[in-house]
Amino acid sequence: MKQAEDPRIKVSSRALLVSWIFFFAYLAAVMAASYLLGIEPRLWGLPQWVTIGNILLPVVFVILLIIVVEKLIPDVSLTDDKPDQRGPE
Amino acid sequence: MNAATISFLFYTAVLVAIGVWSFRIVERVPIKKYEEEFYAAGRGLGGVVVALIIAGGLASAGTFIAGPGMTYAYGYSWVMLNNFQIFMNLLLLAPIGILVGIVARRVNAVTYLDLFKARYQSKTVILLLASLVTFFLIPYMATQFVGAARVISQMTGMGYLVSLAFGSLVVLVYCVLGGMRGTSLATLLQGIVITVGCILLFIGTVRSAGGFARSTEILAAQDASFLSPTKSGEFSPAFAFSIACMTGFFIVGMPHAMLGALTYKNTKALKRGIWMGGIFVLIWTLLLCLSGVVGRSIIPDLAVPDEIAPWLAMNVMPKALGGIVLAGIVAGIQTTVAAMAIIITSSIAKNVLQELRPGVPAATIKAASRWTMAACLGLAMGLAVSQPKLVQWIIFFSIGGLEAATFGPILLGFNWKRGNRYGALAAIACGMIVYALANTVVPQLRLWGTHPSFVAVAAAVIGFVAVSLLSPRPSESIVQTFWGKNPYLPLGRFSGRL
Repeated sequence: MKQAEDPRIKVSSRALLVSWIFFFAYLAAVMAASYLLGIEPRLWGLPQWVTIGNILLPVVFVILLIIVVEKLIPDVSLTDDKPDQRGPE
Repeated sequence: MNAATISFLFYTAVLVAIGVWSFRIVERVPIKKYEEEFYAAGRGLGGVVVALIIAGGLASAGTFIAGPGMTYAYGYSWVMLNNFQIFMNLLLLAPIGILVGIVARRVNAVTYLDLFKARYQSKTVILLLASLVTFFLIPYMATQFVGAARVISQMTGMGYLVSLAFGSLVVLVYCVLGGMRGTSLATLLQGIVITVGCILLFIGTVRSAGGFARSTEILAAQDASFLSPTKSGEFSPAFAFSIACMTGFFIVGMPHAMLGALTYKNTKALKRGIWMGGIFVLIWTLLLCLSGVVGRSIIPDLAVPDEIAPWLAMNVMPKALGGIVLAGIVAGIQTTVAAMAIIITSSIAKNVLQELRPGVPAATIKAASRWTMAACLGLAMGLAVSQPKLVQWIIFFSIGGLEAATFGPILLGFNWKRGNRYGALAAIACGMIVYALANTVVPQLRLWGTHPSFVAVAAAVIGFVAVSLLSPRPSESIVQTFWGKNPYLPLGRFSGRL
């Protein structure tokens, strides 16, 4: 007899999706900046692609990460002893 | 004795004290709770510690020694390649962290392989994974000892072997005595030391070079390809993408990083572990890699590129601060060794022992845990005596092998109900065969110049899906344990033979 799926699994699947989309966006942004921007003009004394692709974009994405994780992944209980808290809190 | 050595010795003394203190805590725990305390620190770790355990575990000598070494040797192209690892906490904790947290509590899993046992109920899968994890992690661990010994040797002037013994024995003390409790406390201290050390090194290096603009001019005069994102064609975009997969998407397969997923106390800690890990790894990776390439404009003729970080620490800042930087580098290496030691020990002393001798008493597991850990660390130290020169390639080989073996069974197994033990075995076999061939007799398998792990993981995924679809579904009890509302499948009861 098939039983109902734990609602927390949807949260887990969502976290997987969010993480892969986020990293793919980061990867695309860094590779685009690195391969499309040139060495000149210099920015902060560094090649332009380094400043934007290797310093600014990682910092921006780490700040975005805080917002994405806190907003898009809801808190759930990890134990089974409180059935009313199984879903997103 | 110089100021750098004194500050490093002080840091080491604190680590030993943590080991002894943790030992007292672990010894007070009742024997039936011992495994959970020793391997999962009572499953009560907060976000900062979880972030540091995963980030510190994954960021190894590859980040702290070889990272700046590669940027020194290849310029800014390798800064980009190393930056792909910044989100490893996200890519490990988000895809499986919540499910692992729920299932680990349901089946009382305290080790990495306990989860596989619950998911696949196969003795073959457990023994195979335990063997592969040990096979790939011990040489990986040895490279960490090599890195630490080189740093200590440069700092103190002691010989390589004495430095090796000094750097590794302290890890032995706090891991063997304190288990995960000792490791987590040490990791917290080490995380602070690493972060402070990286910031100090970066500031000292850029000041010493006369700023970025001057450094860039000198690098351009030395070799213009240092400023190129591909090192003038040496590292293609396809190669960069495969490195991003290895240190990003595939990282979920790294066993020693799974410790964080097994030990966090709630989803608030999990989420903090994700974004704090991003901040920590960003600081460590970016600052060290930039220091490496800027360091080339200060000293262009180092015979061993991997020595750039210790050289900078000892030459561009006051000695006492240099000691803190080097303690940070050694700390980064020690956190990796500690995490690996916990994983290997749990695989052998707990899972393999229980498979071969069901019903083994808790007291035997307790003794076996400490002896196994001491033996593994001793073996890795023994390998490190040979002083391998190509440390970075050994690290890449180990990471690729671990991911080829575990990515399919972990990511697909924990997110796809239809996956089964036959699929897991096929994934391990396909991944290992393709990885071995691509590294040896059929290098053409490295499609478009990618790293061998890329095609090996792809083969493992195809093997997992194809064989799972062609073989029976997993039992309803497994599905309920992992995805159902009404679980319960006690560990140790296997419904199948494989």
